[in-house]
Amino acid sequence: MPYSLTRTTFLALGLLLLGACRRDFDVRLPDNRWEAFEAPGTAPLGASVAARMEGVYTVAAGSDRFGADAVGKWSHTAAGADTVFHFSLFFGKDISYLVLEGRRRDSTLLLHGYWRSMTGIETGAVRLTVTPEAGGRALLLGTAIGAGGLVLEGAYGDGNGTPDRPLRFSFDRPLAASRPLEIVAHRGGGTSADLLPASENSLEILPYAARFGATGVEIDVRLTRDGVPVLYHDATLNERLIVKNGLVGPIENYTFAQLDGLVRLVRGNERIPTLRAALETILTRTPLRFVWLDTKFDAPIDGLRALQAEFQQRAAVLGRPLEIVIGIPDEQVLERFRALPGHRDVPSLVELETADAESVNARIWAPRWTLGLQNDKVAAMQAQGRRAFVWTLDLPENVALFLREGRFDGILSNYPTAVAYAHYIRP
Amino acid sequence: MRTISVRNHVTLILSLLLSLAGAAQDTTEFTSKPGRAGRYSLVAYFNAGGSYYSANRGAPAYLQPSLRRVNPLATVRVLWHPDRQLKAGLESGFMTFYSYGLKDSLGKKGRVSLDAVPVLLVWSMSVTDHLNIFAGSGAYFLTTHLDYEGKSKASRLAMGWMAAASYIWPLGKNAGLGTEFKWMYASGTSSGVLALQVQYVWKFAHW
Repeated sequence: MPYSLTRTTFLALGLLLLGACRRDFDVRLPDNRWEAFEAPGTAPLGASVAARMEGVYTVAAGSDRFGADAVGKWSHTAAGADTVFHFSLFFGKDISYLVLEGRRRDSTLLLHGYWRSMTGIETGAVRLTVTPEAGGRALLLGTAIGAGGLVLEGAYGDGNGTPDRPLRFSFDRPLAASRPLEIVAHRGGGTSADLLPASENSLEILPYAARFGATGVEIDVRLTRDGVPVLYHDATLNERLIVKNGLVGPIENYTFAQLDGLVRLVRGNERIPTLRAALETILTRTPLRFVWLDTKFDAPIDGLRALQAEFQQRAAVLGRPLEIVIGIPDEQVLERFRALPGHRDVPSLVELETADAESVNARIWAPRWTLGLQNDKVAAMQAQGRRAFVWTLDLPENVALFLREGRFDGILSNYPTAVAYAHYIRP
Repeated sequence: MRTISVRNHVTLILSLLLSLAGAAQDTTEFTSKPGRAGRYSLVAYFNAGGSYYSANRGAPAYLQPSLRRVNPLATVRVLWHPDRQLKAGLESGFMTFYSYGLKDSLGKKGRVSLDAVPVLLVWSMSVTDHLNIFAGSGAYFLTTHLDYEGKSKASRLAMGWMAAASYIWPLGKNAGLGTEFKWMYASGTSSGVLALQVQYVWKFAHW
């Protein structure tokens, strides 16, 4: 009996090991060209046209995939002298969204891009057209758009396939002028685990944040062995975040030259960026107006403060609204922050108690969402002229709850598209 | 006073081990099969050999790597052999998963080595008088040695496992010489090696 038992044990162990083999999932943006979109005679859309398209839309065709309604928002990315405008549509179903680039041919608008569902790995190409009669002419002339006055019509597909499923959006109403909400994208735009087009905490993900509906980003700051602030979330180099290369252990054990030369991030072979490069990208390439520097090191933060001040000044010179706050997640960083000269005038965000936020005159108090709505504490902070942000809200039902019953001024999320939908869809 | 006390303890332990080893002289030629009921022993396995890193990942192409797949591997395992088929014990040692020379985009050269000290809880059973199989799980203390733009060293802990089979030729009542073939894997870095080792087995205690 013991002999057969041990054999059974080893057989079970073997089956367990076989079953432990994992399947790798991936999502890549569809590689699908639209000749009409790139044909001679087309021109990029201007900012004024883009702004007039923002609003709540009814999904007249394609609601089985995307749900009954959508929120349309424009964003832009600067690339040298050029600015590329993106029209994003956020849906309530399956945390789905579209990201489209726009061009015009005469009075016809062409929108080309992709869709993605964040509850799975589904994606595909999208092609939409706005004919002159369906609102294209009105958009270009600057005429007011009413309900049904703008119709985006076309198709969407799966993967790299040609779009062949009907899709139609009808303009319903402008976005409500509800109370302002800071929609903050976690880790610069989202996590690498969600198979986004670029790695978390990379320079490349930052322009995506605005396309996902975010007004700001949270980025994780660590120090290299030679004291260079860089963006990296985890305590160690690991395959969740970097391409496997034999390097393990804390990022603080390596110099920046070593990391820059040898380490590539997992989604797009990006380099680990310096904080300086990240702030430069945010300032010069994106419309983002808020940056949360999540301090993930236990060392003096003078260098962090210097970069914060430098980029706040540069934004002010450019007339560009940009608020950069130093995140204080624990007691150690709080003590480091208190050691800064004139720390009460340094913009900060405190994740600890409200008393801690008051003690360093933090602009923002940011509790964890699991602590609940805390409307009394939020109101007390707001009465002192501070704001309150909550982190990290991902489930759409929780986002809806906090927007409906809470009083927070900002929400940190891995799914800013879900927050944008829930916020802007409200009447 | 303290020195005398420690010396006394060492003497006591050595005496105990020697007496147990002496008792082990009673058996016939070495085998991993269980003896008669109520007979227990402690057996040490000293392994040395080479490992082969079989994966293609680990030394990314952008570093123009010259990968060294074959590396030395030395392990020690101590198993409790009860009067049942299933044996249990601990295994540790030193190994290099892989190492490679590199050249960055500017032509600067360097070298990376990923080494590990495994500490595994091992289970074993005898398939025949001389053929044994082993399976273990536990931790790998991983260390990177980097020589590029200066030297760096960093470590982390990773979970992992091993599976092995060995054939042992008896060298008398308490010892054997074997060959072990095994797979060692650290899940934290998805690094695994196939290893072939010469094995010296010593039944050092028996009661």
